Amino acid sequence: MGETTYSTDPEWADVTPIELDDGSNSSVMPLASIAYPPEYLEATSYLRAVMAANEMSERALKLTEAVISMNPAHYTVWIYRAKILFALNKDLNEELDWLNDVSLKYLKNYQIWHHRQVLLSSKPHFPTIPAKETTFLMEMFAQDSKNYHVWTYRHWLVRHFKLWDSPQELQDVEYLLKADIRNNSAWNHRYMLRFGPRDTDSPDAGMVNAGDIEKMPSEKGRLTVVDEEMVDAELKFAQEAILRAPENMSPWSYAKGVLRAAGRGLEEWEGFAGKFVEGGGVKSSHAVEWLACVVAERGEKEEAVRLFGMLEEVDPIRKNYWGYRIKSVEAAA
Amino acid sequence: MTDPDPSFNTERHVKYYLRCLKTFLPSAYTSNDSNRMLLAYLTLSGLDVLGVLQSKTTPEERQGYIDWLYHCQVPSGGFRGFPGTDFGPEKRNKDNEIWDPANVPATFFALVNLLVLGDDLSRVKRRECLEWLPTAQRADGSFGEIVGLGGNVGGARDLRYCCCAAGIRYILRGRNATGLEGVPDINVSGLVTFIEACQTYDGGMAESPFCESHSGHTYCAISSLDFLRRTSNDTKSVPLLSAGSRQFEALIAWLASRQTAELEEPDEEEDDKEPEMPETGSIADRVRGLPSVQSLEANTTCAGFNGRCNKYADTCYSFWNGATLVMLDHYYVVDEVRNRRYLLEKTQHIVGGFGKGPGDPPGKAESAADNNNMLLTETLDLLHSYFGMVSLAFQGEAGLSPVDPTMGSSERTVRHLESLPWWQ
Repeated sequence: MGETTYSTDPEWADVTPIELDDGSNSSVMPLASIAYPPEYLEATSYLRAVMAANEMSERALKLTEAVISMNPAHYTVWIYRAKILFALNKDLNEELDWLNDVSLKYLKNYQIWHHRQVLLSSKPHFPTIPAKETTFLMEMFAQDSKNYHVWTYRHWLVRHFKLWDSPQELQDVEYLLKADIRNNSAWNHRYMLRFGPRDTDSPDAGMVNAGDIEKMPSEKGRLTVVDEEMVDAELKFAQEAILRAPENMSPWSYAKGVLRAAGRGLEEWEGFAGKFVEGGGVKSSHAVEWLACVVAERGEKEEAVRLFGMLEEVDPIRKNYWGYRIKSVEAAA
Repeated sequence: MTDPDPSFNTERHVKYYLRCLKTFLPSAYTSNDSNRMLLAYLTLSGLDVLGVLQSKTTPEERQGYIDWLYHCQVPSGGFRGFPGTDFGPEKRNKDNEIWDPANVPATFFALVNLLVLGDDLSRVKRRECLEWLPTAQRADGSFGEIVGLGGNVGGARDLRYCCCAAGIRYILRGRNATGLEGVPDINVSGLVTFIEACQTYDGGMAESPFCESHSGHTYCAISSLDFLRRTSNDTKSVPLLSAGSRQFEALIAWLASRQTAELEEPDEEEDDKEPEMPETGSIADRVRGLPSVQSLEANTTCAGFNGRCNKYADTCYSFWNGATLVMLDHYYVVDEVRNRRYLLEKTQHIVGGFGKGPGDPPGKAESAADNNNMLLTETLDLLHSYFGMVSLAFQGEAGLSPVDPTMGSSERTVRHLESLPWWQ
């Protein structure tokens, strides 16, 4: 960037740039005006010119790279770039290599990941997952193990290439949880691998079967076929994580989701949760809430109120919320 | 260190926004050039919530801003996010117009900006815009960002676009779709089904089904539904909006869980919180060996909000979580006092505006930790400045106008909308 200007480059001599029209030539007063660097103004004026001509060329491809390096959030330059790549029959693996560098530079960009999805969606180019794909994702997670864009992309990848049972997926999740047992993104991915819908023809649903209108509302969130052994193993996995860090909410939520997917009740963990509240001290506020939910469900109002009252003490930031739960219990028929 | 009576420094905030309005934003904002319509919204609405938009700008300036917004209208209906895709009327044609498309979020923010400025939307291509909108919806009910090559919907399946689409429909259709004979509506029930599918096992809402729950997307989910229920009776019974339903109560629990006294990454030495616990023996023995929960220290006066489970607080999440609770009529479950202290003592900046976290400047665009909200790719502190302030407005902070959580702008703006012809 900067070493050549397009206006003096013979390669661009035949192109008439289209200047930015910010409306400033009339009574118009531009909003959110930015002190654009001159090289950005010039590059984008040439970009408008080649886009207006629908030019599919090497030089246009290079130009998109220059614009992306200054404004990776540009929402049409990426689509234009993808169209050129396919039109010129470019090597998409080379594009992925370039994209890896851009991704590591702009960790929070959203268009980058959508572009990657567009590339990998091409069945002729990628009938199966590229060999280095998950390695690169782990490189991204080494920078930020909770990067939302990368996790969302990985979710798409699993569905696109049907990777729910791929050993690599679970292995990576376990690696990340070992490094940080509080990584809720990794817990969520685990849940999707275990309990996500595998029918890729119909839109998937957040709660299992949520999109199936044939199901009764009370059936929402339950699996049609339940592998009880797998469910037991997942519950055991969550318990181990809780024993390592009892105030970590992720495994408690995970266990709730697992039981729900299996059509099993919270009371199954009454004994386990109870151990965290025995003998005076509270070892986990989430265990107290779990117990309070179980006894409230059974209609043991007094005990539920006592437990929510304990939470008001242990968790004063949510005093108003626990007060709300107490009121709900007291108001229940 | 702790100020016994922290205050909202109105004067400095006014100065901050006026600087953003009337002088060039620094060149670091170039990476957000495509989001200028959003930046304009944060600036104009910021001054409006501070109650000074009319007094600190002249009628000529406001007319000039309105003209710029219409300058961003695409000939075929809808608005572009910035003038940078415009080829000019002479060069635009059927073959190249896909590179200068109307953009769903930009169209929503452009309409809100016009309303904030008091425009009557008479130059909006209302019919064309509403004819375009359903073409940005997919078969699964979700919306994309643009309509791209070959009529394909471009952009992720993402609740942010759903919320902006529902907002466009709300603003331009009005109560009875007056004057819109023959204009097809979006697939409302399809949209509701998609949104419901985004609720995760922990009660929050994710960008797409089965992704991780996130406060920004949770806000988008509920504001979509709220826009829909404001004008159509059949969405009022959606479980997510119905107190007492499992979905609703799980969502409230999740939102309440977002408030946290964990404000920033602890120092390295303190990082090792977990003592090494034996991994053998009975569960009962192992639990017995655990320490008791440490109740919050009495002098913990600040508690902000995070956007996901086990993340640190961030200014903007005081808005995303708070606004959602206001829409659900359950704001009272939060700790207002600690939230106010967090914002005023930790992230309010001396030059006006708010930073993302403690010590972050309000005027600098920088790459930083997590920021998935709205359309931003980097921490962009016009955003934190605006949302920090609006969070305080929800709590009745003196000097701030009441804010409509769904529109994300002053209640005055919504009243103005409701005075327009098709709302009668």
